[in-house]
Amino acid sequence: MGRGVSAEEPPEGAREPAGGGAVRGGDASGAAGRGGSWEGRLDAPPDVWAVFLQARTRDPHIHVGDVHAPDAEMALLVAKENYTRRDPCVNLWVVRAGEIHATTEDAAEMFAPATDKSYRFGGSYRKQQQIYHSGWRLSHRDEDQ
Amino acid sequence: MEARPQPQDDPELLARFTERIAAGDQIEAGEWLPGEYRFEAQRLIQMHANSEIMGALPEREWIPRAPTLARKMALTAKVQDEVGHGMLLYRVAETLGRTREEMIAELVEGRARFHNVFHYPAETWADVAIIQVFVDGAAMQTQGALRSCSYAPYARVLKRICYEEDFHIQLGLDVWRTLAEGTPRQRAMLQDALRRWWTPLIHFFGMPDRVSPHTEKMLAWRIKVKSNEELRQQFLRRFVPIILEYGLEVPDPGLRRVDGEDRYVYTEPDWEELKRVGRNGGPKSAERLALRQRFYRQHAWVREAVIQWAAA
Repeated sequence: MGRGVSAEEPPEGAREPAGGGAVRGGDASGAAGRGGSWEGRLDAPPDVWAVFLQARTRDPHIHVGDVHAPDAEMALLVAKENYTRRDPCVNLWVVRAGEIHATTEDAAEMFAPATDKSYRFGGSYRKQQQIYHSGWRLSHRDEDQ
Repeated sequence: MEARPQPQDDPELLARFTERIAAGDQIEAGEWLPGEYRFEAQRLIQMHANSEIMGALPEREWIPRAPTLARKMALTAKVQDEVGHGMLLYRVAETLGRTREEMIAELVEGRARFHNVFHYPAETWADVAIIQVFVDGAAMQTQGALRSCSYAPYARVLKRICYEEDFHIQLGLDVWRTLAEGTPRQRAMLQDALRRWWTPLIHFFGMPDRVSPHTEKMLAWRIKVKSNEELRQQFLRRFVPIILEYGLEVPDPGLRRVDGEDRYVYTEPDWEELKRVGRNGGPKSAERLALRQRFYRQHAWVREAVIQWAAA
């Protein structure tokens, strides 16, 4: 998918026809370093659809690539031919790539934790687990006897 | 084809970019790129896309003539994969700034390039085995290496392409084995096909790179990951043994493995032929381009109808 993000882009219609896309996206990428926004619409030609594939029921839908199509029905058909030839699939989504809002590549730092977040992870509470498990083993040993 | 642009990039952005690539980072579509990087990457991916589309044609000729129904189905699946790869690659090339329409027009009008091996005829069923094992095997060396290239959208589709190419090689080996273990006539047919394909296969990786600032830059930017000669040697290491194991002859009397080294020497091929073929001057170039163009025009109404239907 064209991952160029064009933050200031007006919705549908105002975009260039197929192809002007990513170049301009690259130029007007709203990159954080250039004082732009941290988010925006993906810059893709209007006939580009992003394809999301669910391999098995209960799996998440994953972006597997794009197709070109004039409408959703055709996009689904082309997606089926291109992305489900052998590997499992139970469900497909298509969405106009230019309608997807995304954070910019430069904004990746935003996701890096600024503070210690160990308190959010189970692994930080080992001591308690050790106490719990040793207690559990002891009590079972009692039962065995 | 466009001329190579003269670099006129913001030196600060260029330095930051170079630093990122050197640190092993990959670039996503839409991020800032040096003009020369965009040009080279776009050209490489467009040529790859063209080669997938044109590469489907020699094998397509054998679908109606496949010897069994199982072979026909497998060959059809393989050809379908190649066209699918073209679809994925044109989309990636498009993120570098040229429309798909432009690229297709360039191809059918004979103004674009595609890989040398697809300019040659597929004369017998044995050619199908050679194409599936050796041509796809050669392509796998290049594409496998490029999975670690710096342009992330290309690296992503290459993962999937290589996965499918591996199936093509397995399929081809099955055809190869059947013929190699078959009647004397089948073996002779296979040997003859190998003889005809050998030079194009050696050509496939291109001339040994000159040590030039341009090559150095392509390697540093990871638009090129291994040198032409490294890839050719990698190919020979993997595929020469397959020929020998089946008691067939390598068509180059000068080919031998260097003692104590994992390297082959081979007879220097005629590089002029590669240049000629590369400029669409191969034995089948005109015919295949004409076929591609004929169908492109013949099917124009389908594209038109689909768009009109969507608009209605």
